[in-house]
Amino acid sequence: MIRLRHALREAGILLLVAAALGFIYTAATEKGLFARPAPSKTTPRGVAGDPTMISRDEAWALYQTGIAVFVDARHDFDFKLGHIKGAINIPLKGYDERKSALSGVSMDRVIVAYCDGAECNSSIELSVKLMKDGHANVRIFFGGWSEWKAANLPAEQ
Amino acid sequence: MKTLLNNPHLVLLVRLFIGLLFIVSSLEKIVDPAAFAQSIASYKLLPTWLPVILATVLPWLELLCGFSVLFGAFTHGSSFLLSAMLLVFTVAVIAALVRGLDISCGCFTQDPTAGKIGWMKVLQNTTLIVLTLFLYFSNTESFTLLRYLRESTPLNEQSR
Repeated sequence: MIRLRHALREAGILLLVAAALGFIYTAATEKGLFARPAPSKTTPRGVAGDPTMISRDEAWALYQTGIAVFVDARHDFDFKLGHIKGAINIPLKGYDERKSALSGVSMDRVIVAYCDGAECNSSIELSVKLMKDGHANVRIFFGGWSEWKAANLPAEQ
Repeated sequence: MKTLLNNPHLVLLVRLFIGLLFIVSSLEKIVDPAAFAQSIASYKLLPTWLPVILATVLPWLELLCGFSVLFGAFTHGSSFLLSAMLLVFTVAVIAALVRGLDISCGCFTQDPTAGKIGWMKVLQNTTLIVLTLFLYFSNTESFTLLRYLRESTPLNEQSR
């Protein structure tokens, strides 16, 4: 009991010091909580800076028009188990080695990035990388493979 | 168990490991609180305003606790805090796994490509909880700054 009381007192002090250091440091360096809003980005092509999220219906509509390239951000293993028909696999982990798969795709072609489904962040991270590399029309199909599969849309292994 | 808790070399070894681990892992988060806030937010457990506050304070708490464990000052308080933090992190990881979130941990590195959370992470964290609890209940002051200060001051005064 004495140990616990002792520990709680020490913990309180540590917590206070950590909070003070944290707030002072982030305020001084203007990071995190104190970060200044980033200046609005304008890409050379005048396209909005952030990739757009699209629903399954929108992804399906794009798929049917054939104007979009679908890029799968998941690992090779998941890709081989099944993916949107015709999609190119560029795992987020191996982006730099694998991005050449898009070398034949023009920079303003619509690219739809997706990964596992509702809670996967790789498609977002991938689309940010794609936009950095100059692709102007990147969309994120956030529902991803799980929504696509659930709707029985064209797939292949 | 009692003898293990009193074994100065074992306690020192655990202190070095836990101390260095938390110091190293806190640095990257301190340098980039925004990325850490993103990692916390990706667990989707907290109201939107909270992650950025946690990202401001938690890395410094890890750093302080790391140094405190390493040097053996405030050891009870810091090992208590580390156990508590690890417990909360582990519950968050389990909650994320159960809900099927495909996210990276944000534990020791903010690199999103470092790997996703999994049950291995839970096992890893559980081991760390056992180690920090071990420190909390340990009874030896050998090789600590406290002991060093306590012993060095009176001795010096006596010798004069």
